[in-house]
Amino acid sequence: MNRAKRGRSDECAGINRNARIETEIDQILAGEEELMPSSGFLGSVMDRVRQEAALPPPIPFPWKLAVPGILLAGGVCGWGGYELMRSGLPLMSAFSFTLTPRHLSAATVLALEQAGWVALALGSSLASWLLSRRLAGASGIL
Amino acid sequence: MNDPSSADEDLAAVEQVVAGETRAFEGIVRRWQGPLINMAWRYCRDRGRAEEMAQEAFLRAWRGLAKWRREGSFSSWLFALAANVYRSELKRFPTETLPMEAAPEPSGPAAQHSELSAQLSREALYRAVLALPLRYREPVILFYFHEMDVAAAASTMGLPEGTLKARLSRARALLRQRFPHLDEEQAAHPSQRPRRMGHQDLGHREIDQETRKEVAN
Repeated sequence: MNRAKRGRSDECAGINRNARIETEIDQILAGEEELMPSSGFLGSVMDRVRQEAALPPPIPFPWKLAVPGILLAGGVCGWGGYELMRSGLPLMSAFSFTLTPRHLSAATVLALEQAGWVALALGSSLASWLLSRRLAGASGIL
Repeated sequence: MNDPSSADEDLAAVEQVVAGETRAFEGIVRRWQGPLINMAWRYCRDRGRAEEMAQEAFLRAWRGLAKWRREGSFSSWLFALAANVYRSELKRFPTETLPMEAAPEPSGPAAQHSELSAQLSREALYRAVLALPLRYREPVILFYFHEMDVAAAASTMGLPEGTLKARLSRARALLRQRFPHLDEEQAAHPSQRPRRMGHQDLGHREIDQETRKEVAN
């Protein structure tokens, strides 16, 4: 009985101790003295703001010049996709009927390889375009 | 930290800046330079760097004023923007901090009679805050910067209040473990206590419950 009481009182003492330490932490961290800005701070911020304000506005993206290029690139991608589908679909169907490699003729393997290269080239073009836009900090499309 | 007249002045200044009057930004800098520098100071404990970071925050604010959607107060927007700037600056060039375990031990009993000793243990506590893991450090910095206002600190961090309380509680537990004799040391020097104290106290019991939940999860 006494042991249980002592245990409870030890626990209470621990809780009180923790609360006291936390109060000290609060007082120290909330009571930090404040820094005064240096005398030149306002001036230096405003100098930089004025410098930025004096800069010419950012050049807008030249959509008029870019649209033909984008259309051309879209056309090439579309054509590539069409070619891929045209050569890839029969191969896929052939593939589905002849699951074992021994049924693939040399011509089929060659065509598959070419389709793979076309897909790889298209993928890497797209990736490099996205990367260049990202590096240039472009936003908007994608 | 944000009285209504200042909020009106900020709003008027923002309108003027957005309309192209760069000079109006000076009023904003004048009003907020102290808080932003002090906030930066708490992130890095380097006066020169704090001013550089605050300057960068003001520049970002100037660039972004037109995009401010006026959904909250100007000060909330400015503090959140500044916290983002400081966080990314410190990620690029971290401050040199000792790990929690390597922070200097609190002073021993013999040294407790000197005023310097109390000051040293406060400095050790400030350093220990910087040595906390990032997820706990920032809530501590912002909670005490905002005079122990959980809502303001949560808004600056963009976190729910419950999450902030849980992290804060964990951070305080880590600090408590690190400075188990802080109460005795400071009790020995009551005249050396810092002067400013936040007006809002956070119930320790509430925080302890949050800690238990976090530990249970």
